Amino acid sequence: MSRWRYFFRRLLLSIPVVLFGLTITFVIVRMGPIDPVAAIIGPEGGAANRARIEQRLGLNEPLWRQYIDFIVGMLTLNLGQSWVIQPSTSVGELLTTYAPRTLWLGFWSVLIAIFVGVPLGFYAGLNPNTGGDYLASFGGIVWRAMPNFWLAIIFLAVLRQSEKFFFGIDWNTIGVNVPGLIGQPPLNFIAVTDWVSLGALSIPIGFYFSPITLAASIKQILPPAVVLGSAAMGNEMRIGRTAVLETINSNYVETAKAKGLRNRAIVWKHVFRNALVPLVPIITNEAFILIGGSVIVEVIFGINGIGYLFYQASIQGDLPLVGSLMFVFIILIVSVNIIQDFLYTILDPRVGYE
Amino acid sequence: MSMNEFDDTTLRDRIAANPRPALLWLVGVLVLVALELGRIADGVLRLGGAVGIMVEMIVTIPSSVRGAVASSFGTGAGIAAFVIMAFILLGTVAIIVKWLFIPWSLVDRLGIDVSTGREDILERLLVTGLLAIVAAALVWTPVGGLFEMLIGVLTRGVEAVGSLTTITSREIIPNQGYQLPDGSWEGTFLGLSPALAWGLRVLVVYAYALTWLGWLWKGYEIFREHYREADWTPRDDSINRLRTHYWGVFGFVVVFMFVVMALWAPAVSPVTAEANLYSPYGNEIQYYGDDGVQSITHGDANMNSRSQGGDENVGLMSYDDYDRFHPFGTNTDGKDLFTFLAYGAQVSLVIGLLATVLMAVVATVLALITAYYKGVADLLAIIASDSVIALPRLLLVLLLSVLFMQANHPIAEIYDGGLLLALIFAGTGWPLLWRSVRGPALQVSEQEWIDAAKSYGQSPAATMRKHMSPYIAGYMLIYASLSLGGVIIGVAALSYLGFGVQAPTPEWGRAVFEGKSYVSTSSWHVATLPGLLVVFLVTGFNALGDGIRDAIDPQSDSGDGSAAAATGGGG
Repeated sequence: MSRWRYFFRRLLLSIPVVLFGLTITFVIVRMGPIDPVAAIIGPEGGAANRARIEQRLGLNEPLWRQYIDFIVGMLTLNLGQSWVIQPSTSVGELLTTYAPRTLWLGFWSVLIAIFVGVPLGFYAGLNPNTGGDYLASFGGIVWRAMPNFWLAIIFLAVLRQSEKFFFGIDWNTIGVNVPGLIGQPPLNFIAVTDWVSLGALSIPIGFYFSPITLAASIKQILPPAVVLGSAAMGNEMRIGRTAVLETINSNYVETAKAKGLRNRAIVWKHVFRNALVPLVPIITNEAFILIGGSVIVEVIFGINGIGYLFYQASIQGDLPLVGSLMFVFIILIVSVNIIQDFLYTILDPRVGYE
Repeated sequence: MSMNEFDDTTLRDRIAANPRPALLWLVGVLVLVALELGRIADGVLRLGGAVGIMVEMIVTIPSSVRGAVASSFGTGAGIAAFVIMAFILLGTVAIIVKWLFIPWSLVDRLGIDVSTGREDILERLLVTGLLAIVAAALVWTPVGGLFEMLIGVLTRGVEAVGSLTTITSREIIPNQGYQLPDGSWEGTFLGLSPALAWGLRVLVVYAYALTWLGWLWKGYEIFREHYREADWTPRDDSINRLRTHYWGVFGFVVVFMFVVMALWAPAVSPVTAEANLYSPYGNEIQYYGDDGVQSITHGDANMNSRSQGGDENVGLMSYDDYDRFHPFGTNTDGKDLFTFLAYGAQVSLVIGLLATVLMAVVATVLALITAYYKGVADLLAIIASDSVIALPRLLLVLLLSVLFMQANHPIAEIYDGGLLLALIFAGTGWPLLWRSVRGPALQVSEQEWIDAAKSYGQSPAATMRKHMSPYIAGYMLIYASLSLGGVIIGVAALSYLGFGVQAPTPEWGRAVFEGKSYVSTSSWHVATLPGLLVVFLVTGFNALGDGIRDAIDPQSDSGDGSAAAATGGGG
């Protein structure tokens, strides 16, 4: 099978996956132990009210009809609205408010994990069985085993008293001032101030950019991002170490050595590039963990992101919103999977031949 | 299989030929059991109770299905659904019963002559029929009453045994007492201080558990030396590799300590669970106050032993005002933290094991089937597992447990939500495990011996069980041990959010939640210690998994993506 045929097969396979994932969501939301309408109207909603909402949600129709409506509605991006948390706000609107914060959090947690975990892993792999290797490996394993919720609490406690632990450096005042450890990062550091329209097309010409707000935003997001990326960091370190060890002992590195290539050239040209391949699925796999883990981190650090929105929607019984959010997550994860397969197809010529 | 595959002697024959070593070993086992007979009987009783509840719930499934179907499709369809559901349940039980208890073939005994493929099906149908007769007899004839009476008598018998004292019991080594003005202790073991008495009891517990471990190892050695036919098997090498794999041994030690703490929670905790967790106002202690020896309920005493930062704190290894010793300090509401954590370990272990075993069974069966049949079966399994994985696990678990708990579903009340959590984690976790063993399963299905078994006419089920499952069992052990850590973290995270195990059943995550505001005060221990225990335990499970992997398959990479996937998704 050629590489691209393999890729397209995977692409095709994602269609039933999305459909089946939606089916599971439908079963949980519509056929689960809680009646969606009861949660919306509360205990003292009248029968008329109930009938009206049932009508609007289409719950008075037979189940198979509801199922088809649900699937078609989702697939045509007709995501519906929130009923309990912010009544009659469309899901799209909610997403544009809440998603940027989670994306900002996810971006930094992936970035920090990669830029700390991978170099540490490569260092450990290049110096195997030394004190540094043991320290890094053991640290990575323990770091990975820490539950996010606990790590978050410890982080908060330590940073609150940062003077005591970091030789008088106060976290709140170092660099830029942030209002507090808990709270959402200000995302208004960049904005468009001026638009010029060329016919039907609007082109932004005026930009507003505040480096101080950007710095504050990064500082605000750092602790939660480190916590969220902790497991990923440990994984990347472990896999990075193994990958380097494997490539170092491979024949082409031996050949390069025999050719008399300089050590630095061997490491940069032959070891690193090949060791990065097994890291691809690890990094993309983090997407699952990030989306799931964001609930805990957002709840503890008080960030109003998608995870927090989902948490609120589920505990307050906003089941239509829960269903729509689940669909967004499914699409997100399936696309990450496709990107991973795509990267694999490009990076590793052996894909599909095994 | 209908015929004996081996002409060799069975294990029973070999023991009968040379009974001495086996008998000696058995005597040791009996002595060990006798020392803790009461506690073992207690455990059996609790296990029996749990199984009883499970059976009752499963028995109600057909009639509840009938009710659901009958309400929308009419009575006839309801009865049909009842029969189908009952048949499915009985058939499932029949497969297990056949596999565990009926080593001979009913079809052969009855002298029915059919082809091999049909024979298996017929065999199971026969067992199902027998089970149906037994079930009908239990429900509709006086046999049911008799059976209930029998169980009642048995329960009372075990209860009587359960009240025997054991060497690790609180009565033999009491640690609760009061200090007289002259500094001597009243009511504790040999007049030792409560701290020492408690330490001694913990020591006895671990010594006992270690003796068991050593004796089991001894039993394995006896088996190897006297009763095994082969002088050497590949498993010997695996075990030797594991013994010299220090990282794996570390993991084993951590896991062993945790399991002992969970199993002997009533013995290692300084206060009984009854007095500490469930009814603090129904249990009294004696202390030496201003008016000599006085008594006070645990609940009232707890008011003065709360750990809420500042001066109001009972820290590590300290006594409170009523001479109660707290190895890990007290909780925010004054209860003993160590007791909470020990019983919490039990909860974590039960949920983790239950979820992991369920997952592992589903994943193994699925891996065997997909590897054997390939093609469409494999494709369907890929789609199903990818779909479940596409739903973010922690969110799905959160959503499901919230829904079931808010609906007050009966299943959410068993074990204060513990059973529900185990089921949810199993239902969301099997795809990760299946993915991890799919590769090895496919590999073994390509082997020549599978072809040989097929052409020899062995039934697919027998081929999978005998020739494929031993090969993937080792891999399953690795990934199950890794995912157990993930489940424990996930349960703790959910309990932290308030949707896991509900009070009063203790759970580590809830202790973290209670203590989270006091981390930077003098009562730092409340939230920190449970978290450290989770870190320690999960590291231990990971290390054990690494050790087993290196022992089974020394050539494997020491870290691959699927291992990470199996642990991932925790909170």
